[in-house]
Amino acid sequence: MTACLLETNALGRSFGALAAVSGVEFRLDAGARHALIGPNGAGKTTFINLLSGVLQPTLGRVVLKGRDITGIPEARRVKLGIARTFQINRLFRGLTVLENVYIAVSERVGAAADMFRPAGARGDVIREAMHLLAMLKLEDDAGRRVSELPYGRQRLVEIAVALGLKPEVLLLDEPAAGVPSAESHIILDAVGRLSKDIGVLIIEHDMDVVFRFAERITVMVGGRIFAEGTPKEIAADPEIRAVYLGQHSHV
Amino acid sequence: MIAPALNPALHPAALAFAGRHQPRVWEPIVWILALVFYFAFPNHLGFGTELLITILFALSLDLVLGYAGIVTLGHAAFFGVGAYTVGMLAYHGFWNEPISSLMLAAIVAALVGLGSGLVLLRTQGLTLLMLSLCTMALLEEAANLGHEYTGGFDGLASLPIPKLLGLFEFNPLYPRTQYVYVLTVLFISFLFIRTVVYSPFGQSLTGIRENTLRMHAVGSPVRARLVTCYTISAAIAGIAGGLWAQANAYVNLTTLGLDRAAMVLIVLILGGCGRMYGAFVGAVAYMVLAHFLAKLYPTAWQLGLGFLLVVIALFARNGILGIGEALLRRFRAKRMPR
Ligand SMILES: Nc1ncnc2c1ncn2[C@@H]1O[C@H](COP(=O)(O)OP(=O)(O)OP(=O)(O)O)[C@@H](O)[C@H]1O
Ligand SMILES: [Mg+2]
Repeated sequence: MTACLLETNALGRSFGALAAVSGVEFRLDAGARHALIGPNGAGKTTFINLLSGVLQPTLGRVVLKGRDITGIPEARRVKLGIARTFQINRLFRGLTVLENVYIAVSERVGAAADMFRPAGARGDVIREAMHLLAMLKLEDDAGRRVSELPYGRQRLVEIAVALGLKPEVLLLDEPAAGVPSAESHIILDAVGRLSKDIGVLIIEHDMDVVFRFAERITVMVGGRIFAEGTPKEIAADPEIRAVYLGQHSHV
Repeated sequence: MIAPALNPALHPAALAFAGRHQPRVWEPIVWILALVFYFAFPNHLGFGTELLITILFALSLDLVLGYAGIVTLGHAAFFGVGAYTVGMLAYHGFWNEPISSLMLAAIVAALVGLGSGLVLLRTQGLTLLMLSLCTMALLEEAANLGHEYTGGFDGLASLPIPKLLGLFEFNPLYPRTQYVYVLTVLFISFLFIRTVVYSPFGQSLTGIRENTLRMHAVGSPVRARLVTCYTISAAIAGIAGGLWAQANAYVNLTTLGLDRAAMVLIVLILGGCGRMYGAFVGAVAYMVLAHFLAKLYPTAWQLGLGFLLVVIALFARNGILGIGEALLRRFRAKRMPR
């Protein structure tokens, strides 16, 4: 029933002899809450790099709302509605939190090419950036440099920058990775509160989070899709339990 | 979720950002000092003119290096192109009206910046550094070989520069006109650079400097931004070079050599990158130091500057202004504990 937002056909990417991703048929629906799980080195990040255009595939296609975007570079895909966060922070570390989000929002609304007006005069951009920061409970850090923030807060900035792009497809690569578990719930709460208009694909290792958040789960192993289904189906699959979920006996 | 009373757009950080382009109280002091110099040191206006030109040149470098993070060693290429544009047009009798000549210098330098930028800015880091150096070396060699037009190694001397606005004579012995003229051009250029730096475009340049990869991921046309910035910077460097040719009434190969490129880099690092006023502080520090060191140790004065640069690179990455900012922060922290 729901519309297909993003889809891949036989998508593959090799690094030399290593097929990091191969033969992936995947579909993300509008408004989806979709989790991508799999052991370390399964190819999850590579897959997101292919979706966002950071990497070019060696095989197959990426299709956004029926349009083949395989050859379209990363920056232009953002304009088409795909945004992502990174497993390892990629922020403007020497700039303030507000500046980080301002940059993203100003690119989206087309203000960033303007060189004759002060950045401060774009009240609309500042307001939107501050509202995002408020939503992520970051407003009191707005004037601080990212490099001065604890890692957990930096992870929130990572999300704020992506949300500043108002994406239709949001790809989250382990948003809570590297954050002490006491703080990770702040990040996951924020992810849980994302607008239902956005289709979200999240890579996450914490099975509790995955089962709480996701309506659909894709399991990737060795660069291939190993299984896909609802959380119930995935949890009930004995093979998956053996291959991947074995160590999470509480599932 | 957000209480309307606590509008985040009225948060102090948002208000500070909204007003950050407003002039600071101390900013006019710089220009007042420049005017005071004119009256206080009428016998040193040649030195003053040279200083102001160096500031303008360093400002142009700050835009690419300090804001966009483009590490270039060949910025004198554009200074030289500007100087030779003015020099050749005047020497060969094509055009010598000062203000329009300066504009032509800016345009030609911008074109060279655009052309070389389109190629150079595909690369990064060491490759970019070497290519910028090569571009400059090529231009220098061209100026050396084309002596029919450029005067070759000797350059072009006694350029016929007419009176400014038909009123004020460029007197090489008593360069009052030069000083005021250069100061005016510096001021206008500074206002322009300041506008660009505080604009959304300037903000996006800092984004490229801080994390180019993330800029792609927020949908920024990174290369177009860099080429635009490089072209603007080249135009301003060209104006600085054009001023140099007009003020001295000659051009020669020193305008586009490695010495000048290295000098402007030292000036900027000394003063502090990405701060605009670093160019002012650095140029004053460099020229005053060079002046006195050269008197004290006529043969080895560059050693002293080199030593200073090492100290700055090791202990004060943000230059003299960076030291000042750190002291100010400490002072404020003491006055307002907590
Ligand atoms: N740029 C690259 N060059 C060479 N090999 C790469 C590159 N990127 C990833 N790989 C390899 O591809 C495989 C998949 O890596 P990827 O980062 O996609 O895994 P992942 O599922 O995200 O793992 P993790 O859970 O550890 O983040 C790994 O074997 C990795 O070493
Ligand atoms: Mg990964």
